[in-house]
Amino acid sequence: MKEVVVPGQIVSEDRKKLGSNVYVANGRIYSKVLGITDTEGEYANVVPLNGLYMPVQDDAVIGIVSRVVFAGFGIDMNSFATSFIPKSAMREELRVGDVISAKVSYVNELREADLDFARKMQGGEIIEVTPVRVPRLIGKNASMLELLKSGTGANIIIGKNGRVWARDGDIGLLKELVSFIEANSYKSHLTSTIEEMLKKKKKLK
Amino acid sequence: MSKKGEEIPDYKKDKKRVDGRKMDELRPLSIKVGVIPNANGSAYVEWGQNKVYATVYGPREALPKHTQNPFKAVVKATYRMAAFSVPDRKNPRPNRRDQEISKVLSEALEKSVFVEQFPNTEISVFVEVIDSNAGSRVACLVAASVAMADAGIPMRDLISATGVGKAFNEIILDLNKEEEDAPDAVDVPLGILPNSDEIVLLQMDGLLTKEEWKKVIALGIKGCKQVYEIQKNALKEKFELGNVSESDDSGNALEKKKETGKKMKEEKGKEKIKERSEKEKKVKK
Repeated sequence: MKEVVVPGQIVSEDRKKLGSNVYVANGRIYSKVLGITDTEGEYANVVPLNGLYMPVQDDAVIGIVSRVVFAGFGIDMNSFATSFIPKSAMREELRVGDVISAKVSYVNELREADLDFARKMQGGEIIEVTPVRVPRLIGKNASMLELLKSGTGANIIIGKNGRVWARDGDIGLLKELVSFIEANSYKSHLTSTIEEMLKKKKKLK
Repeated sequence: MSKKGEEIPDYKKDKKRVDGRKMDELRPLSIKVGVIPNANGSAYVEWGQNKVYATVYGPREALPKHTQNPFKAVVKATYRMAAFSVPDRKNPRPNRRDQEISKVLSEALEKSVFVEQFPNTEISVFVEVIDSNAGSRVACLVAASVAMADAGIPMRDLISATGVGKAFNEIILDLNKEEEDAPDAVDVPLGILPNSDEIVLLQMDGLLTKEEWKKVIALGIKGCKQVYEIQKNALKEKFELGNVSESDDSGNALEKKKETGKKMKEEKGKEKIKERSEKEKKVKK
């Protein structure tokens, strides 16, 4: 059974393995955030419904260059701390406003992220989504992502930090679908509904 | 307010309050979540005549830099009253009272948040009082706490708050302006974390005996629990679990707003053109 919980609400009175967004007090497990929990799961876990991006090691992210100094580039990662890439790590020169894709190589205790494998993205558009809802955009085994790619014919890269980069194909349709998924991220049967929507759209054309 | 010549009510005798409530009854309270799309989290609270908006931004980089704390996030609440929120115009410049309430709200909210998770950041909370009638600071605390939960900030618990106190010879819950101005009035704004009954906001205006004090706190905590239920329902209301259907709202409130704004402008423009052409016709005639 899935259930919406508010901060401070009991997730489980039993001893369970601790998942994310929960804390223990007086032998009970409470939720930290407004989110959804599965009461029958093995873990006491809450999936948040809103929130900021917290960098985690090995995340693929999409950043925007916000500052250029002699030694390197400041990258806006949609997190509360900006990241830094030294010039020595980049093959090409970047300018303010350029879009890069990168991988988080290390996160320190102040939640500042070091980036690796940075690559400049040529052209395309960025769609912003709530970071905690990104998993629904990717789906199980990337099923939703594959569907979006084949349905709109676009080149899509989804950053875990809530930025979707897309080029070619039907970007207008993609934006529509992404905002639909984002608005209904807490409901089930999303992939099949999107599939049906795409089928209908194709018939219209 | 009781004027000279008017009879001062005695609640011990009357068994009923000036606005017809019971002694332990709250004013009607309603909460709406997510009313301001540009904020990370927001809430609107209507509590009796009080009308309050709260918005939450962050956690974001704390600026100026000397306000940062490398061990925790700084919760910075700003309480403001609209100039038209009171019978006499309120000078919009923040006064001593505004600063005090901003401070107590910040400290109360900080107790409920896991601040250690966000070093060097600031969580900004703005509460704006549109209409007020006694107990606006507890309404603000309730709104701010719900807005924080809406922003997805990790919290120990929601904060529930209510006014309690004494007026016209009786211990009562949630005083209104008339009762706050009673000759023997004592006003106690009380905010708690309802899971643990930890007190995060407690102020007192007036004097109470020890016995009265015990009664006031017990009644206040009982009132806070009622407020907590309403807060919980308001937050859960927004998210109804189930299957999606294609007719569901596609979200993007901002763009929709822009679109409706454009349409309205266009319609207005058309009306103006019509009016003008009609006028011209009249002139020609």
